Amino acid sequence: MKNLRLLLPLIWLAFFVVSCNDDTTGPTDIPVGEFEKGVLIMNEGAFGVNDGEVFHYDPSSGAIKEDIFRAKNLRPFGGLIQDMVEAEGRMYLVANTGKVEIVAPNDFGLLGGVSLGLNITRSLVVVNQKLFISDWGPYDAGFNNPDSYVAVVNDLNGGPIAKKIAVSSRPEGMIVAGNFIYVACTAAQKYDVISASSENLTASIKVEGNPTQFLEIEGRLFLYAIDDNNAIFHEINPGNYALVRTVKIPLANPTPIITLGEGSEIFIVTSTGWPDYTDAVAKVSVNTGQVINGSFYTGSGLYGIGFKIEGKEIYVAENNGFQGNGSVSILSPTGQKIKTLSVGKGPSGFIFK
Amino acid sequence: MFQTIFNQEISPVKESKIFETEIMSQDTIALASVEVFSSSLDKYAFGSTIQTISETDLEIHQGLPLSDYLLQRTGLFLRQYGSGMLSSLTMRGTSAGHNAVFWNGLPINSPSLGQSDFSILPVGGFDNAAIHFGSGGALYGTDAIGGAVHLTNKLRFEEGHKTQISTLFGSFGKWNQQLEYGFSDKKFSTRTRIYRNFSENDFLFRNITKMGTPIERQANSQIEQVGAMQDFAWKINNKNLISTSLWWNETKREIQPLMGSNTRDFQSDQNLRWVLDYFHFEKNKVWNVKSGLVRDDQSFNNSFNQTIQYFLAGDLDWKINNKWNSKSGIRFTHIQGNLSTYQAKESRVELYQSTNFQPFEGLGFSFNLRQMIYDGNLAPFTPSLGGEWKVWTNESNQIRLNSNLARSFKVPTLNDRFWVPGGNPDLESEKSWSSELGLNHIFKKETFELNQRLTVYRMRVDNWIIWLPKRNVWSPENIREVHNTGLEYGLEANQHAGEWNLNLKVNYAMTRAINQTDISENDRSKGNQLPYTPLHKFQSIIMVGKGTFSTFLNYQKVGERFTGTDGSGRLDPYQLWDIGSNYNWSIRYLNGSLGFQINNLFNTDYQVMPLRAMPGRNLQLNLNVRI
Repeated sequence: MKNLRLLLPLIWLAFFVVSCNDDTTGPTDIPVGEFEKGVLIMNEGAFGVNDGEVFHYDPSSGAIKEDIFRAKNLRPFGGLIQDMVEAEGRMYLVANTGKVEIVAPNDFGLLGGVSLGLNITRSLVVVNQKLFISDWGPYDAGFNNPDSYVAVVNDLNGGPIAKKIAVSSRPEGMIVAGNFIYVACTAAQKYDVISASSENLTASIKVEGNPTQFLEIEGRLFLYAIDDNNAIFHEINPGNYALVRTVKIPLANPTPIITLGEGSEIFIVTSTGWPDYTDAVAKVSVNTGQVINGSFYTGSGLYGIGFKIEGKEIYVAENNGFQGNGSVSILSPTGQKIKTLSVGKGPSGFIFK
Repeated sequence: MFQTIFNQEISPVKESKIFETEIMSQDTIALASVEVFSSSLDKYAFGSTIQTISETDLEIHQGLPLSDYLLQRTGLFLRQYGSGMLSSLTMRGTSAGHNAVFWNGLPINSPSLGQSDFSILPVGGFDNAAIHFGSGGALYGTDAIGGAVHLTNKLRFEEGHKTQISTLFGSFGKWNQQLEYGFSDKKFSTRTRIYRNFSENDFLFRNITKMGTPIERQANSQIEQVGAMQDFAWKINNKNLISTSLWWNETKREIQPLMGSNTRDFQSDQNLRWVLDYFHFEKNKVWNVKSGLVRDDQSFNNSFNQTIQYFLAGDLDWKINNKWNSKSGIRFTHIQGNLSTYQAKESRVELYQSTNFQPFEGLGFSFNLRQMIYDGNLAPFTPSLGGEWKVWTNESNQIRLNSNLARSFKVPTLNDRFWVPGGNPDLESEKSWSSELGLNHIFKKETFELNQRLTVYRMRVDNWIIWLPKRNVWSPENIREVHNTGLEYGLEANQHAGEWNLNLKVNYAMTRAINQTDISENDRSKGNQLPYTPLHKFQSIIMVGKGTFSTFLNYQKVGERFTGTDGSGRLDPYQLWDIGSNYNWSIRYLNGSLGFQINNLFNTDYQVMPLRAMPGRNLQLNLNVRI
């Protein structure tokens, strides 16, 4: 769930469409806080140390504030941060170690959280003043996740889980469109559809490739999926959740790490993996179904990517082998490295404010 | 001389071999001794520092993990992943697999993991321990880059029947129970020992990963350990001796999750170790044939891994004349690995030669050579040269200088080479050069005794293997070079006054382990201290005794550590105090000891490793009964 910048506007849009509640605490009523401008950098943290952190980068001054959660709350986050979602005037920090912490977007002061009943938590959306949290569920003896679910919490500030909706194996990214919550289930190679009103599973649709996240590309809803040789974009009709068409772009070794650039251009991190290990950033066009540049940028340990509309800069996160802290390379629209930032352990995503 | 000044049982540092009688007369004295003969660990270690831990030292730690003892009572640091959980030793700034561990002369490091878990080596599974600080590759073989730990059983002849019951109760449901029976006459000695160590381990801790940092009770951390040992020795005649030991140990552990994590992992370890020694004594010669096996079965959740090592070794320890001693040997090892993702077999053969030269009293040199061949590959040839010199002496003082230059190596583990996916069969052995210089001062005047030792060392480790992510697969490479420098200081002072006895022990280690390698353009590791390696560790214990009663106050301080190679992820320093008392009692045919101890006296909230909760103040009561 890397393409946070894209998901958030769509989530907001969907929410305003379906929500009947007045929102008296909308962002327009709150003074712009310290962390409501600039760039939030999500650092996943290292496995076994659970040292996920959020850094803040101010592009105008070049200043970086480290571990803003700890600085405000005087304790470590204590988990591997899988996703950051901003909704309803709150920032949701989703840990794949089984918890969600909820902070104020302006200063990262703690508002609440969900700590009981989650397993391997992946992402979150907010609908009807409720939290819907995707979770792989526990591993079975064969390290599969047959009991995946979307947990429902009836309070924007967290609390107990009210309900678990069983979904296909390994749910990842979600999106809200119309009355439906779409769930990309990567192991099952399906997207599941949950009715936001009844909170029941409505459909489960098989797709080609392993789906990981949804994108809104030029007003259309797409599901991104991968196989060894293709980046696959499935277009979905948000009105009836039907699969409309599939755009299959020949690209070797695509990863789930992508970001939407201009128009229908997508930046995709590719990786040959072990043993001939080379990472790269490829630039593709969904509209043409073609690879524009297969080696827009090359490196190793590429772990996150983001696109900053202002300046059209590409932020590429590198994990430096998880031996120490990671770094972020800021690239120009032509792929030239402009600047390198020292960030936290395993940087993996960005929110551009 | 030194041998008479300090009793080996309480000395914090190795005694000089210059003055040992064993060197001069091992052919005749060995079997005349009540103690069953075993090869001397430090005979060919002139210039090295060896710390002994005696049965008396270990007595009040009955059934507790050796890791707890080493952390509390030495200058060593162990990476302890929670209370009673995986504990790996780091010596002189090297990694967890850079120390060799022996049980009665057999190397027991796992060939698949390359290290030992000191939390499942219970006190009671051996009689005493010795720690060799620094490079010992030529003496001990693979892994001994930062040092070596020797666990040994001490069997005795002519003791008749002997029964001992040891019990330890502690906080958090701790109950350790051991029963031992032994019998020996002039020719035979046998001893059987069984034990069970249990702990609910449900201590309270502050969960700093939750809103409001609530106090919670640790879940999923129960430990149950059972084991049995059998020792046997047979003095066939004055020239021939057979001894054998068998140790089976099973540890079932719920794996303590990180704070804020809800994992519920379970691990079971079964370790079977067997050794058989045959000694043949001739004039000025001792022949030894040693065989044995070490079998480690480990289940982690549903993943099963097994390794079996078979050993056959032989050597000749020969006193050539009053100045020269020589030991020549060969060791065959056959390893079978049945791991969850691969199977492997490997044969190793190593030749070794140790030579002592003592040109005159007060000066001794050890020269050691070793060459291992594993799976058809030559491991680095490892020489070492050490010396010890009695520089100055008078009625009360003695000053000795020791120095050592040594090469060591570590053969890549089976997992390093064969793990699927990611194993790298092209890995080379890790190798090191190290040098050290030590000064030992001994002072004795009337009822006051002082022994202090200062050692400085420098080490360079190359081809250091680290596992790096290649997208979804982690794979090891010979990538890192590390330069280690450091200082070790040990002191023991003892004052007797009538029935009163005052004893002070101090250990301090300053360890600089500086990474010389960046793995990528943006890596900022070079020039930084290695992760989880405290620059400072200090430990001291003061004991006051009167007659059969004694009391102690123990203190340890561990400096800051970092989780990242670039100095990121600082872990706070911590200091712990323990206090306790011990009473040696005797009633008719019974005798024993009764001890009481408070650990973490000031209820300090600390973490050895990040987000691994550790217990606060806790109590311990131990009772030993001997018949």
